[in-house]
Amino acid sequence: MVTPLAPPRSIGAFLRAEPGRFYEWVMGQPSRLAGFCLVSIVIGAGSYGAATGYWRNPTQALYTGIKLPLVMLLTTLGNGLLNGLLAPLLGLNATFRQTFTVVLMSFAITSIVLGALSPVAWFIVWNAPPLTGRTNIASPEYAMLQLTLAVFVALAGVIGNVRLIPLLRQWAGSGSVARHVLLAWLMGNLFLGSQISWVLRPFIWDANRPVEFIGQDCFQGSFFETVFEAARRVIFL
Amino acid sequence: MNENNPVPPLISQTDAAQRLADKPNPPLAISPSGPRPLGDDPAERVPIAHAFAAIEALLRQPRRLLFQLRQPGAGKLIVGMLFVAFFCAAVYGVVAGTFSGGTQLWAAPVKIALGLFISAAICLPSLYIFTCLSGAQSRLAEVCGLLAGLLMLMTILLVGFAPVAWIFSQSTNYIGWMGFLHLAFWLVATLFGVRFMKNGFSHAQAKSQAGVNVWIIIFLLVAVQMTTALRPIIGKSDTFFPTEKKFFLGHWFDTLREASENNGTAHRY
Repeated sequence: MVTPLAPPRSIGAFLRAEPGRFYEWVMGQPSRLAGFCLVSIVIGAGSYGAATGYWRNPTQALYTGIKLPLVMLLTTLGNGLLNGLLAPLLGLNATFRQTFTVVLMSFAITSIVLGALSPVAWFIVWNAPPLTGRTNIASPEYAMLQLTLAVFVALAGVIGNVRLIPLLRQWAGSGSVARHVLLAWLMGNLFLGSQISWVLRPFIWDANRPVEFIGQDCFQGSFFETVFEAARRVIFL
Repeated sequence: MNENNPVPPLISQTDAAQRLADKPNPPLAISPSGPRPLGDDPAERVPIAHAFAAIEALLRQPRRLLFQLRQPGAGKLIVGMLFVAFFCAAVYGVVAGTFSGGTQLWAAPVKIALGLFISAAICLPSLYIFTCLSGAQSRLAEVCGLLAGLLMLMTILLVGFAPVAWIFSQSTNYIGWMGFLHLAFWLVATLFGVRFMKNGFSHAQAKSQAGVNVWIIIFLLVAVQMTTALRPIIGKSDTFFPTEKKFFLGHWFDTLREASENNGTAHRY
């Protein structure tokens, strides 16, 4: 019998936790753990978003600071049912609430890493010349900024997901089940998360439009159509 | 619900801690796995009274310094180390400023010392998070102490390089070469500082050094970008801060191009 434990009281305790401790948290009081994760996502991803949006102006910083945590939370909510269905189908004995909490935990770790990197992101943004005059979307400065910010998000995402593997492995009692479950969740979250990001754009700077929370053409097109079109242009010139 | 894989019993940290507590204490002298525990030598337990003792300990008895940084009330020691780092960075800055002379004699030390500390402050949150992720049992104060050790060792080594830098500053007008030389000295000094810091984390039960390695790359990038954000440090300028924002690679290419057009004597770096 696993004794329920109080949820993590500090970020340090949360990040250092062993898989067994994570399991006890998920089993013991998932709602309180979810609350901790929620706060981590709002503060961590919010501060990173604010740093990113600050390149344009403080209003954009506020909007991006709200939108980035929103992407994570909407992705978790939107895929909650699917993730909860996929887990038992792939061999993991977990309830909907538990899978929801585990996915939220992964996003919380990602957000904490992003929050820790937000001073660095802010410094990079502060050093980037504004998107006016000489600097434009084709400038290497813009590419450098985009690349650095994207690398940070990718790094945080990888860390957030890699931290789940030992927990899932112990939980499922099988490495292959853990990998399959994680891969399935990842694919679902990436698919939905990309489109939610597309709808909530712009995050950095849309030079053709004034500062706004969500662009007027938010539901026009999709992330994947744009990627496909860009690939088609590159391949067929 | 799939019932084929019943949940295996998991060992919690509390259980593991209880089991460890039930076992007799292992001998302190030599650990069968991992580095020798800090404080096993009585000499390492001798408190470090002042900043000069901290310099000597850093160079000759780094384990003593690492042990003292883990003790309660290490804040005073950390402040002393930061003071030494600031002073040494300023000394090296004066030497760097002698290349151009004039206002750079005070602007360069201010920029180098402040730039170093701002870089460290920007990177401190990510260092703490990465050490937590690696499983290291380090408190924030210990992480601050190790970062202060990195800065102190780095700047002491820079002071060691200062006479060489000064000779070249007086001998050449080629700013590209001077920039390269200062960067090379800074890189060597940083690598020694990083070695000290990683040595400290090896005693914190970290399961992996990957996070710290990633952090080192971030710190190096922030520091080199800081040299561009606070330019000019070696060359001359009409303004204290640059009027144009640039990334360091773009700035370096521009400087080299400008230097080659002006026979090696570009004005900004």
